[in-house]
Amino acid sequence: MPGLLLVGLGLAGCEDIISVEVPDGATYLVVDGWISDQPGPCTVRLSTTAPYFSNQATPRVQGAEVMITDNDGTRDVLKETEPGLYQSATVRGRIGGTYTLSVTVAGQTYTAQTQINRVPTIDSLGVVYREETDDHDAGYYLTYFGRELPGRGDQYRIKVFRNDTLLNNPELDLFFFNDDFLDGKYLNGLELSPGPFRSGDRARVEIHAITADTYGYLVELQRQMRNDGLFANPTENVSTNITAVSRDARPATGWFGGSAVQSKTIYIH
Amino acid sequence: MMTLKKAGRLLVALFLAQAWHPVAAQSKQTVYGYVRDAANGEGMVGASVRLKSQPTGVTTNPYGYFSLTLPPLADTLIISFIGFQSQSLSVAALKPEQAVQIRLVAVARQMNEVTVQANGTPQNIRSLEMGTVRLDLKTLKTLPTLLGEVDLVRSLQLLPGVTSVGEGATGFNVRGGRVDQNLILLDEAPVYNSSHLMGFFSVVNSDAVKDATLIKGGVPAQYGGRLSSVLDVRMKEGNTERFQAAGGVGTLSSRLAIEGPLGKGNSNQQNTSRGSFLVAGRRSYSDLIIGLSGDEQLRRNSIYFYDLSAKVNYRIGAKDRIYGSLYSSKDVFRVDFQGKKVDMEWMNQTGTLRWNHLFSRRLFANLTGVYSAYTYQLGIPQEAQGDISLDLPKGIRGADWTSGIRTYNLKTDFTFYADYHNTLTFGGSFLRYRFDPGALSPTGNDSPVEGITLPAKHSREYALYVDNEQTAGARWAFRYGLRLSGYDYLGPQRVYDYVAVEKGAKRPANEQTFGSGTVIRSFYNLEPRFSLRYIINDESSIKLSYNRMAQYIHLISNTTAASPLDNWTPSTNNIQPELADQFSAGYFRTLNQKRWDVSAEVYYKRVQNVIDYRNGAETRLNPDLEADLLYGRGRSYGLETYVRKAGGRLTGWLSYTLSRTEQQIDGISNNTWYAANHDRRHVGSAVSTYALSKRWSVSATFTYSTGIATTAPNARYEADGGTIVVPINTDNVRNNFRLPAYHRLDLSATWRGWSKPDRRWRSEWVFGLYNVYARRNPFSIYFEQNDGLNTQQTNAVRLAILGSILPSVTYNFHF
Repeated sequence: MPGLLLVGLGLAGCEDIISVEVPDGATYLVVDGWISDQPGPCTVRLSTTAPYFSNQATPRVQGAEVMITDNDGTRDVLKETEPGLYQSATVRGRIGGTYTLSVTVAGQTYTAQTQINRVPTIDSLGVVYREETDDHDAGYYLTYFGRELPGRGDQYRIKVFRNDTLLNNPELDLFFFNDDFLDGKYLNGLELSPGPFRSGDRARVEIHAITADTYGYLVELQRQMRNDGLFANPTENVSTNITAVSRDARPATGWFGGSAVQSKTIYIH
Repeated sequence: MMTLKKAGRLLVALFLAQAWHPVAAQSKQTVYGYVRDAANGEGMVGASVRLKSQPTGVTTNPYGYFSLTLPPLADTLIISFIGFQSQSLSVAALKPEQAVQIRLVAVARQMNEVTVQANGTPQNIRSLEMGTVRLDLKTLKTLPTLLGEVDLVRSLQLLPGVTSVGEGATGFNVRGGRVDQNLILLDEAPVYNSSHLMGFFSVVNSDAVKDATLIKGGVPAQYGGRLSSVLDVRMKEGNTERFQAAGGVGTLSSRLAIEGPLGKGNSNQQNTSRGSFLVAGRRSYSDLIIGLSGDEQLRRNSIYFYDLSAKVNYRIGAKDRIYGSLYSSKDVFRVDFQGKKVDMEWMNQTGTLRWNHLFSRRLFANLTGVYSAYTYQLGIPQEAQGDISLDLPKGIRGADWTSGIRTYNLKTDFTFYADYHNTLTFGGSFLRYRFDPGALSPTGNDSPVEGITLPAKHSREYALYVDNEQTAGARWAFRYGLRLSGYDYLGPQRVYDYVAVEKGAKRPANEQTFGSGTVIRSFYNLEPRFSLRYIINDESSIKLSYNRMAQYIHLISNTTAASPLDNWTPSTNNIQPELADQFSAGYFRTLNQKRWDVSAEVYYKRVQNVIDYRNGAETRLNPDLEADLLYGRGRSYGLETYVRKAGGRLTGWLSYTLSRTEQQIDGISNNTWYAANHDRRHVGSAVSTYALSKRWSVSATFTYSTGIATTAPNARYEADGGTIVVPINTDNVRNNFRLPAYHRLDLSATWRGWSKPDRRWRSEWVFGLYNVYARRNPFSIYFEQNDGLNTQQTNAVRLAILGSILPSVTYNFHF
């Protein structure tokens, strides 16, 4: 918006990289865990925060005890398959289930909880060609066809894969919505921003039903990814649902979310 | 000192004894009448009328009216106004039963400066006003401007105590107040969004303005409803003498204003006409320029604004005059999305009807009816893709979204000139609000959106006030007043309490339904106002003031700079009114035979019930907005210094402000005090105009201010499978980092065209350079991962809205 405004005025705004001196912050434990109703292991990544300008990968947290328990009492201890990467063997999400993540690092335990909500099916996907805009390159973009589930309180995140690679440019590709204003409606060609695709590409679209809390987390996350422009929000810490059992534990941040997933694949030609 | 209660009783007694017993009251001689500008017949606001033997007297009201009850042995009246030649009037020569019509003649440029200043103690020493600036529009027109637009609000920022959060940010901040804490009155109608073009320019067309006064402290009881300041803008009434047109062609917009007399006057009034009119308009043509662009993509966008002002006044008999004014402004902002446009429009509309009536020569009354609305509409096409430009709940496509605030206001103001030493103002006001938080309606056949209208909110605000301005002896003057304000949040409405659940989140509970017109919640506030002036000598005085202000409506905006899509919300069962107490003290003097005005003021302000937002608050189309609000305290204090030189070839001013603005809100920054976002420690400006010759004058302005406070992360972490780097401040503090300082130099040159004595055509060219040394003043700093994809490299990026020098040319004319 500001870019266009400036162009409209015949002005040129400008951006440049500057150095910002801020003392390094404390080290938090970072939990990034997701569980879905899809086959295959669910993954929890453990790492820590790092100085903002350190220009290195953030440190992985190894040797933790990671466990997921569902509301039936089924328990799965996750195995560390790569440094900081923990994967489940048996637990699989199911719609209506509640899942508790428990992480024990250096004698301190952290927990988080999530649910898996119902998900609609995708009727079909379409393709439209779009010229270049300020935000997006020219190329083919996907459109979504399918009915939103009647009854309020559904939230969705859409993930788009190009030839099996998740398109996840943090500024442009986070795509999520709720049914506040379109409850039970038919999404008749909702245009998806991740892209573009070229002829010959394979495109897969996943719709993830997410909880209201996860939706709120994504809103906050996206705000921090779009903090440029005339009407930026102040920098704020993104919420977390990871809680330390003990008060004097090292603080933690991150998210544990669950989703039910439907997907569809289309070939671009 | 008298207690307020005693003062109040005295006022009532004075009023009863004198206003309604005209015989007794008028046994002393009362001089009354109007002070007008000889050039166009406009009533002059704030002109001084006093006896030669006394240091003080009265000032004219917004309609140019004054009344002065003379003590025995009164000899000569002096009528003066800065920039005009003073007049003396022998009391003996006055006809007792007749209104005096005084016409002051403007001093030509570059006249001997002694005549510019009135004889005797200068106005800024004498008056009770402090923290108050009357903007000189003639001066403003010669100063350098952004793209040639003479702009009231931008010019205000050259004065001490007035800042903004950045280049192109909507509104202005006064003494640490937020943008919604300024009461902007356009012919008494409140203006709810003061900005054109997202905030680059203000909505007031300076060609149509007669008088603009900014009150930062010592606010008279007549004003209320906002915490920080009053910007009282009065439109021109129109030339009563002859038809006149003025206009200009600028880099960004063109303007035209026509005015002239209405009706024939009767011969025993010096007024030649019974009324006058004014119509003024302005339109930007950035869209037209874009249309000529070779860039096809650019050409599909369309951005422009216009505003239109119209005013008429007419005298009915000797005691009555009516005024009608209309104002309308609109901004259009269309951004192309594949042939379908995101279409954003926002508009202000105000209308004012006023009736002046003279009950007696000492009791002047005005009745005002006001309508004011701010509405906007955002059209989002079905094809809109990424919603990067539109901070809206996700998934909304193919919809129109509208929102607005509409108010009706009825008020009455009386000025009672009790005696030579007391002028009493009193009156009442009733305001009715309707807030439409948002309505969404589907457009086109494929829209998935269902029509939703968030219920309108209703409220009313009312006030009674009384204020007495009293002089005591040659040195002392006081103004003491009281405003009693009340507020009702009204049905129909379904209301909730918001109870805290975990992690600060709140959920609605205890639903209650109220019928139409039922009072859901009321608030009352007593707002005392007090000012004192002590004249030390002919050249200096000290002043003190205290005021309490209450604010019942709030602009909900959780972005650094306010946006045109922000909503006003009323105080409710959950949102308390904001309250401010301000103390200020000032020293005023003149130097060098009254060529220089110097002042220094200190202030301390504390604010209760400051509003802030929970992390992730959704401020738009959110039925449970109240659950996302946080409340706290604010304080600001500072020193403002100001030196002004009037008259002579070199005119201008220097100002410097040292200040601090802080907030403490539970739930933010570990519940500790932190610098407000718009806190700027040092702010200075230098403004000068030099008359090179009769034709040429040059001006320069320089401004400097400490950068605004912002939050910088001190760490980062990976999220979403390691694809996204998230900034975090592990100390959980707000506004821990300062943007680099803002500074800018602007230059302009004005060339006045040749004029022939027999022709009325006058013209001038104004050439300007904005941001002469092309500084990239930072508007904000944001933090991002490099190229959006590399999670190991992160950057701090400085966004400068203007990074280059901006020339402009404007041609102005009048005839």
